[in-house]
Amino acid sequence: MEKRSIKKETLTGIIKKIAGEMRVFAPVKEEDGVFFRVLGEGVEPQINYANTKNAPKNIFFPRTEKMMKYTRTDKGMEFVENGEEAKDAVLFGARPCDARSFVLLDRLFDQEKYKDPYYVDKREKTVILTIACVHPPYSTCFCTSVGGSPTSEEGSDVMLTDVGDSYLVEFLTPKGEKLLKYFGDTQADADAEAKKKEIAEKAASEIASHVPAKEIKTFLDENFEHPFWDTIHQKCLACGTCTFLCPTCHCFDISDEVKGPDGVRIRNWDSCMFPMFTMETSGHNPRPSQKERWRQRTMHKFKYYVDMFNAISCVGCGRCVMYCPVNIDIRKIVTDISKL
Amino acid sequence: MQNPYIPMPVEVIKIITEVDTKDIKTFRLAFLNKEDEERFKYTPGQFAELSIYGKGESPIGIASSPTQPGYIEFTVQKAGVVTSALHAMEEGAKMGVRGPLGNSWPIEYLEGKNIVIVGGGFAFTTLRSLLNYMIYEENRKRFGKITVVYGARSPGLLIYKDELEAWGKRDDVNLHVTVDKGDETWKGKEGFVPAVCEEVAPSSENAVTVICGPPVMIRFTLPVFFNLGFSKENIITSLEMRMKCGIGKCGRCNVGNKYVCKDGPVFSLAELDQLTKEY
Repeated sequence: MEKRSIKKETLTGIIKKIAGEMRVFAPVKEEDGVFFRVLGEGVEPQINYANTKNAPKNIFFPRTEKMMKYTRTDKGMEFVENGEEAKDAVLFGARPCDARSFVLLDRLFDQEKYKDPYYVDKREKTVILTIACVHPPYSTCFCTSVGGSPTSEEGSDVMLTDVGDSYLVEFLTPKGEKLLKYFGDTQADADAEAKKKEIAEKAASEIASHVPAKEIKTFLDENFEHPFWDTIHQKCLACGTCTFLCPTCHCFDISDEVKGPDGVRIRNWDSCMFPMFTMETSGHNPRPSQKERWRQRTMHKFKYYVDMFNAISCVGCGRCVMYCPVNIDIRKIVTDISKL
Repeated sequence: MQNPYIPMPVEVIKIITEVDTKDIKTFRLAFLNKEDEERFKYTPGQFAELSIYGKGESPIGIASSPTQPGYIEFTVQKAGVVTSALHAMEEGAKMGVRGPLGNSWPIEYLEGKNIVIVGGGFAFTTLRSLLNYMIYEENRKRFGKITVVYGARSPGLLIYKDELEAWGKRDDVNLHVTVDKGDETWKGKEGFVPAVCEEVAPSSENAVTVICGPPVMIRFTLPVFFNLGFSKENIITSLEMRMKCGIGKCGRCNVGNKYVCKDGPVFSLAELDQLTKEY
């Protein structure tokens, strides 16, 4: 594995240089938050931010995405051509939890039988540069409970770790090595690596939230029907914020839009929190109340995904906890279940 | 990379109005590209997304049998946006089809066994596919006795009337057609499907029953087959859920850890017992 050392003040310059040559998604300040945006000229990429408000899943799985186009002919609507192909890109500044979310999403979108070409195309062409969390940014972080860590390399192509006066830059994949030329010739020394080890242990120990996410699987296996499910949903507003901010939520809707003779088929993020999500044309709804929807969300993340793909569908980023308008806390739900 | 979301273009070559209320029609579709037709290899029990540009898609069971080359058929009730647009279509119209999707009736498992088909209302579509597949000349000897119980609310609501007549004339199909309530022209059986199943009382020996119909029919039919000695492995049905992608990605049609679109729609009762009751 190639390892480099760069002076801390050079990092933004390097990212801007890459952005001059290809599309770079980077965290930028906007209004009251930090968001991943295509890095434009003269815009400063954020480096010392906690985490972005939105997860970067939008880059591979946009909130709204064109799937195909069609046009009206005298024989009726005819399919014309598919959307655009993705271009080479760099995702800079992901946090380890968010980088890890892509490994989880890959299991769904990049299966052997049905590959999702829209996701896979963008994912394959994007190099992910992650910045390790030297100090976990929030008290709501719980990545270590769900298989990650503040310095997890899972999903990253290049890992940057702040080791004091410099960044240790580790090129983890061949895809990542394509960016080697931008990071100078200074080889990382043994000292930097030793420091990284130290940082990894310290950062993991600083994670304040611990939830028994793996442990509740056996309960979930047996208790689809349980009085506990009556206790979490009452205050839920069904706003869907938790699912939209979640790095691993992947549900979508497909719909058609027509303007004049042209139309598009698009997909939009959807949410299991919405009453209409499973509503059938007959009026029958297999998940008729918010209770069933909350059970679905909990089961999907901590049981179904584990059954299907052998991984919890949560990276412990804590966004759903921070932004829920009525303070529903998945950590509490999981902890409460573990006590049943 | 094959894009599983792109429909194959087809032409509506025939439309048959099945019922006297005119809200159930069978659409016969022919592929516009030969290579699509060859790619669309299906087994009875599978479904496809019918795609109407500008309206959307609807998942519908395939009503034709793979033994009928040159076209595929779907019997559709007019209900929502897409099916209403479909019902407004005329012969010669172009649309799209995406599939075949889902698992299928377990043909290999059914081979060598006596088959009891039980259908209600217009949920007879993929059962018709199975029946036509089994009675196809080259296939018939692979299956044992075939018993069919099919019912609708009234004579006018029976679908596939011409075929019902033809099947009735065959001596290798034991056909029982019933209606909840007959009219002055109806000379056949009257009564609910579960009651007719009880009366026909097919033997459970080396037999599998394949049931499709409204939930209330299924609820009352299952005990009849338990009493006849059918095991849960040998009672097979098909589920319906709201679907979009049809390939296990969009996340809405799961029942427990199974996606109905990808892991189903066909499940045995033994398999359904392992799933949550959320459908």
